[in-house]
Amino acid sequence: MPVDIANYISLSTVIFFIGVIGVVTRRNPLIVLMSIELMFNAANLAIVAFSKLWGNNAGHIFVFLVVTVAAAEAAIGLAIVVQVFRRAKHVDLDEVAGLRG
Amino acid sequence: MNTPQLVIPYVSADYAALVPTFVVAVTALVVIVADLLTPKKMRRAANVAVGIIGLIAAGVLALQGWGHPIAAFGGAFVNGGFAIVFQEIVIVAAVFSLLMSYALGREDQSGGAIALMLWSASGAMLMAGAANLMTVFLGIELLSLALYCLCAMSSRPGARESALKYLILSSTASGFLLYGMALLFGATGSVALSAFANPPASSALFDIGAGMFLIGICFKLSLVPFHVWTPDVYEGAPLPVTAFMSVVTKAGTLAVLARFAYAALPSPHGAAIMLPVWIVAALSMIVGNVAALAQTDLKRLLAYSGIAQLGYIVASLAGTTAFGLRYAIFYLGAYTFMNLGAFAVVALLSRDRDEGSQLTSFNGLGYRQPILAGAMTFFLLSLAGLPPTAGFTGKILILASAVNAGFVWLAALLVVGTAISVYAYFKIVRAMYAQTTGAPIRRAVVPASALPWACVALCAVATLVLGFYPIVPSDVLPLVK
Repeated sequence: MPVDIANYISLSTVIFFIGVIGVVTRRNPLIVLMSIELMFNAANLAIVAFSKLWGNNAGHIFVFLVVTVAAAEAAIGLAIVVQVFRRAKHVDLDEVAGLRG
Repeated sequence: MNTPQLVIPYVSADYAALVPTFVVAVTALVVIVADLLTPKKMRRAANVAVGIIGLIAAGVLALQGWGHPIAAFGGAFVNGGFAIVFQEIVIVAAVFSLLMSYALGREDQSGGAIALMLWSASGAMLMAGAANLMTVFLGIELLSLALYCLCAMSSRPGARESALKYLILSSTASGFLLYGMALLFGATGSVALSAFANPPASSALFDIGAGMFLIGICFKLSLVPFHVWTPDVYEGAPLPVTAFMSVVTKAGTLAVLARFAYAALPSPHGAAIMLPVWIVAALSMIVGNVAALAQTDLKRLLAYSGIAQLGYIVASLAGTTAFGLRYAIFYLGAYTFMNLGAFAVVALLSRDRDEGSQLTSFNGLGYRQPILAGAMTFFLLSLAGLPPTAGFTGKILILASAVNAGFVWLAALLVVGTAISVYAYFKIVRAMYAQTTGAPIRRAVVPASALPWACVALCAVATLVLGFYPIVPSDVLPLVK
């Protein structure tokens, strides 16, 4: 039995907002980076579902590109977190508030 | 029997359209190899020279495509007057940033940093011609990922913290942008921007998608209220990287915004979708200039001034008229030169570990370095939009375009923002000519090389010439075939 497109999109919306809430509320940069990954992957799920719905294979290729970019983003993010940690000996986004807005 | 055929549907012209972008990306690899092969004494010079030669070659190659618009790779990359103008602006900004980074020395000009700057530039060049969601996303991420590294590569205090802040906020914005793209794809069934002009009946999905897409774009353009990261990142990053960011990210993202507004939106409905962007532009002009008043660090001041300048440029697109686009491109060109000129002056005042970006380092500069102070005054006049400069001409053109398109309120706010900005910029002029006591006066400037002087001179000449001969490219439309 085929699953209705609305289910995919609802799930993807829920995952996206879990990601947004994680970015806004959590103070540990590692958790924030994970939340950002959630946002990207929610978009991936939506793109694949829409790709199936429209029969347009461009969506599949798009998802591969997004997965690659997300991996690069995580690598750079972790590298910078390590660098900040070396200097500050702790990682907490509230403590990294030595900068004005 | 039916054998599957291997068909490569792309012709050499498709690849030719991407050659300038490839040249810049490959130059980055060459820089890394050159960094390994050259003896230590001439490594810096070799790295910068290879980078600049590659950029100039790319600029010349890009110009070859003028007058031969082509939609390469099934419309994924549209090479035409529009893309070429933006690519040339990116190349000019990258060349000036490399010159500044050579003069400043230290960690900013290792092979890795220069290669990252070139990759970032190639991302912006990809965005200039990107006409489908995939190329837009790839361009934005290539540009941003390289910049996160560049911001973190400085040993200055606060640099890594600001890089972390930039990475997290910018990636979140990318998340919104990507989810917006997913919804746009779902509403239209196509990734091509040109296919969005006639979305199917159910357009709530399209509207939400376009909204999230535009939030991501406004963040990358650092328009108010998505601007909070800008001053911190500008302050924390090395000076040449700040100069690079202030032009290249803006040029690339503006190209995407303009293509989206002009070529991807259905005509009656698109005006409603874009209205919030014009309001955001108006907010940026006011908030950016008011916040600039309070700054005592040149890099932070130029960050807020950049927010306001981008507000002017986006305001020029209001109503999506053909003239508006041409004037926006002209003002972007003027902004490139006056902004890079101001950054080059700051580079000349730099010392080891100390970037000379404090307002106090300008105290009495008018008496110690009259030529330098004169050039800075000229760039500030241009940023404030006073004659006889490119900034003045550009602002008049934008005012005309906004009024013509029926956005009189936007034109009025632009004038108010300009009036406020005069106070912010003239704080520096006052420090240079009137402030001879108070903070300790620094020793006379001894430039590490003539290169930043060349930057200042070239930018000043360009700002002056563009003020009298507003070269407005006429064949920037059509954006999407």
